[in-house]
Amino acid sequence: MPTDHREHMWFTNRRAWVDRTTIGIAVAAGWFVVVLLIGPHGDLSASASRMLAIFGAAVVLWITEAIPLSATSIFVIFAEILLISDEAIVGLPAEFEAPTYQSIFATLASPVLMLFLGGFVLADSAAKYRLDRNLAGVLLRPFGNSPRSILAGLMAITALLSMFVSNTATTAAMMAVVLPVAAGLEPTDRLRTGLILSVPVAANVGGLGTPVGSPPNAIALGRLQDQGIEVDFLKWMALAVPVALIVLVFAWFLLTRRFPASADTLDIRIGGAFDRQRSARILYVVFALTVIGWMSEPFHGVPSSIIGFGAVVILLATQVFTVDDLRGLSWHILWLVGGGIALGNGVSATGLDEWLVGLYDWGSLSTGLLMFALAAVALGLSTIISNSATANLMIPIGISLAQSAAVDLDPLLAGLLIAMSCSLAMALPVSTPPNAVAYASGEIETKEMATVGLLIGVVGIVLVVFVMPPIWDGLGIL
Amino acid sequence: MDELLILVVEDEPEVRAEVVRDLSFAGMIRVEQADDVADARDAIDEVDRAGDHVGLIVVDHRLPGGESGVDLLVSLKDNPNTRAIRTILLTGQAGHQDTIRAINEADLNHYFSKPWDPNELVAVAVRLLTDFVLDAGIDPLRYVRDLDGPRLMAAFAKHGRPD
Repeated sequence: MPTDHREHMWFTNRRAWVDRTTIGIAVAAGWFVVVLLIGPHGDLSASASRMLAIFGAAVVLWITEAIPLSATSIFVIFAEILLISDEAIVGLPAEFEAPTYQSIFATLASPVLMLFLGGFVLADSAAKYRLDRNLAGVLLRPFGNSPRSILAGLMAITALLSMFVSNTATTAAMMAVVLPVAAGLEPTDRLRTGLILSVPVAANVGGLGTPVGSPPNAIALGRLQDQGIEVDFLKWMALAVPVALIVLVFAWFLLTRRFPASADTLDIRIGGAFDRQRSARILYVVFALTVIGWMSEPFHGVPSSIIGFGAVVILLATQVFTVDDLRGLSWHILWLVGGGIALGNGVSATGLDEWLVGLYDWGSLSTGLLMFALAAVALGLSTIISNSATANLMIPIGISLAQSAAVDLDPLLAGLLIAMSCSLAMALPVSTPPNAVAYASGEIETKEMATVGLLIGVVGIVLVVFVMPPIWDGLGIL
Repeated sequence: MDELLILVVEDEPEVRAEVVRDLSFAGMIRVEQADDVADARDAIDEVDRAGDHVGLIVVDHRLPGGESGVDLLVSLKDNPNTRAIRTILLTGQAGHQDTIRAINEADLNHYFSKPWDPNELVAVAVRLLTDFVLDAGIDPLRYVRDLDGPRLMAAFAKHGRPD
């Protein structure tokens, strides 16, 4: 039976990381204790110094993965309650308006996480009734059987699914289809590599497309929401889908050029007959209504988190999604995002963000250069560590930086470009789990993944930093 | 460290060689051999000490040395450290009672009577080893190529790292 400590077990099984575990915990604990002992210092207030201890420890733990990512998240929440809440174990100066400990716990149920919960339940239900695969089969049919158009279809469908289903689950489902097809090609046919690489690439890029597509999007939305900047589902899509589309077209062009097919035709069969039983039909209706509800928020004004939560209620009540299914949900990802939101809130409530931003004279950089720097650091960091962890660390600082007087940068744009840069990092097998899945097939070399991933990352951030902002501005959607 | 192995327990050298050849389908999965129960226990202990895992054991029933293949399977089930090992009884000589005991007391996973169909043996081994990898919490992506790839990838997506 699946157990929920798998993430941790797989992690500890990687022996090469044992030293990293010890070092990570030692450095995080050392930082935590020393910064707490030094305490307030110059411009650094008492509350901000405590938050600095938490923030630094979280940076180290998320980067080294000395403990599971979600454990670092709940450590952040726990430490904030003990150190900066109204229940802090050592009192804080009276002029500091300490957040209530209830509000810190409540980040685990923040609206954007409830939206994500809705997304998870819909995605898991779709997988259960094979709606994802069957839909993919129907959508792939018009693409015919020439290798180039099949590849385009495969990428479009993978990206579309990945907008609503986690990138990794989409990759796993599509790889199950693609691997036997690739195995059926001549061993010398470059298309084998192209086919297998196209899946993680499209899944990673598709994840940009909607608020529920990938955790970095939720982390950005959660932080923006806390700052009173509301971005609804449709607005996110209006900003992100064009980016995803352009990057996909580029990736398709790149893959078909680098990995030309020697086969003339390619036959892919996905899915089968749609499930007609009552619970499956309920799912189809709820899925369609939820997506329509999400995309029509400007017309009815009901927040997407409430609509997503409604879908959870209906699917659970009708037992389309059972209590057993509920147990199998990826709760650790919700917690991971929740810790990121708590970190952002803590950094801003204590004023640590202003202190950090004040460490450097940002006004000396042009806005374009600043944006490029944020995107490049996010891309680089998340090439090596988890996209979500990168977003957790960079989004609070990036958005606070954008809000400071020294800088002329829209906070929404800052959040958007960091979140997107995190998702555009796909140069190595360790960059994202979809890459790890594709690499595990044994059909692609790191060198090929690196070339394709790097080009996509660079083109992606140039697009997000330099090309799109003027267009978004011109269209008035930013 | 964390290697996955198959253990074949069979006393007749020619038969053993044949089973080992059939089960050498996977580059990442080593096949170990033993010719009686005592030898098999030593092999399992050794694998355990090295931090590796015996995921599947294929045993003949009638073995020299006083203990039968079914005795071995029952004792593996009684030990929490070896309970997860998947089991195949591959034999021409197990009587009705022995087979019943293997099923009831050792939760036997699969029974093959000699001669066996190599393709079927491999298919069953792949299924059982995939079950073992998922149960034992071994990184499933390591075995995508050799075992049931789609199942392992789906399990990784469900329980593995976040995007």
